Amino acid sequence: MEDISYYLEELEAKDDMLARTTNYLSQIQSSIIEKNLHLNELQKGISDSINFAKLIQTSLLPDVSILKVFFKDAAFKIFQKIGIGGDTVFIKNTNSGVVFCLLDASGHGVSGSMLSISGTLILNDIISSIEIDDPAVILKFLNYRLHQTFKNDKNSIANFDGTVFCYSSINNRLSYSSARGKGFLIDSRNDIISLENTKVSIGENLNSNFNTCNISFEKGNKLILFTDGLIDQFGGDHNKKYSTSRLKKLLSNNTGKTASELTEIISDEYLSWKGDGSQTDDVSFKVIEF
Amino acid sequence: MVENNYEFDVVYKDKYTTLSYNEELSMVICTADSEYIPIGEFKKVFLYVSEFANSSKISYFVFDKRNLRTFHQPSMEWYFAIWKPILKMKGLVNHYKILPELPWFSKAVEAGKHEIFQRYGNNLLDGINITYINSIEELLEKFRKVG
Repeated sequence: MEDISYYLEELEAKDDMLARTTNYLSQIQSSIIEKNLHLNELQKGISDSINFAKLIQTSLLPDVSILKVFFKDAAFKIFQKIGIGGDTVFIKNTNSGVVFCLLDASGHGVSGSMLSISGTLILNDIISSIEIDDPAVILKFLNYRLHQTFKNDKNSIANFDGTVFCYSSINNRLSYSSARGKGFLIDSRNDIISLENTKVSIGENLNSNFNTCNISFEKGNKLILFTDGLIDQFGGDHNKKYSTSRLKKLLSNNTGKTASELTEIISDEYLSWKGDGSQTDDVSFKVIEF
Repeated sequence: MVENNYEFDVVYKDKYTTLSYNEELSMVICTADSEYIPIGEFKKVFLYVSEFANSSKISYFVFDKRNLRTFHQPSMEWYFAIWKPILKMKGLVNHYKILPELPWFSKAVEAGKHEIFQRYGNNLLDGINITYINSIEELLEKFRKVG
């Protein structure tokens, strides 16, 4: 049996231990609170910056009504992964008709948005400078300018996947050139035909050649362009990729819809497939009804 | 006493602690036998180890604190800032510790060490290896594999 002084000393030591530990834990708590405040400030700064960048990027998007001058209906949707991103839509009047495309820049987020804006400006410059009615030539120019602007030989930072269309209202001719772009034509028999593409990105190789294809279309046919973010989105009951086959099935079940309706249907399907899961990539799609 | 087929001689024992030594391993095991060791008794046993190191080689020191329920900061400060550096000069740099399986005790140790390092600097234990282990058996098993 210990004497009373032992227990008194033990009690004092326990009090001391409790006080020191409490003080230490309070210090940690204060430090965590301080770090959280700092992180919140940083997050707000980043969030404000991204919101403003989103406003800038959105304001640069073209007016889809330009396409409705030439075609029965047209609509597009863009879901950037973090509000801003690498997917973009381009539409520009030419002397003979209209040039339009859907582009997917390498990367997403801030870097993707910088590239997509730069790409759009370069494309606009090319089409404004010279009258080109061959989409493969437009891609060739864009490819060259990307190399020149971003010194792609050294870094290969600025690549785009996408399809450029040239429509001439003079001869009602529609042609396209695609660099890893994705798209379908729904014809009069409701067959879904994949658009041809070159398996090289724009900006990837200075010496790349692109092909021009002509599209024969009839009234009521639809053109559906989309970026890989749509078919690569994980989701559904088993967290699988949405896939091209599911998209084709959706389109074949909705062949009678207008371009605007079909855009909303694809949008709803995409959001439903993604559910509460995270967005895999930037996503965009465009539907044109002839 | 025998630990994992290694024979340890009890070289010191009082109401609060037991010191055991194995010459082959050059290892001292200090076992806390009570929930609290008064600082005077604490210093007494550790000074004994210091003296013991003059006559016997100690390469490994195990402090088994599993019976302790009070982390006494002044004792620990002395143990870290005075005793360990002295024993380092005598060649003892490998320390093993076993804590009670009590999260609040581990937190108290963390708090105490944080205060000690703040006061004496983070390089206080430079050149001294401190390893936390779960049991003496686990440690001796490692020695067996190496040996």
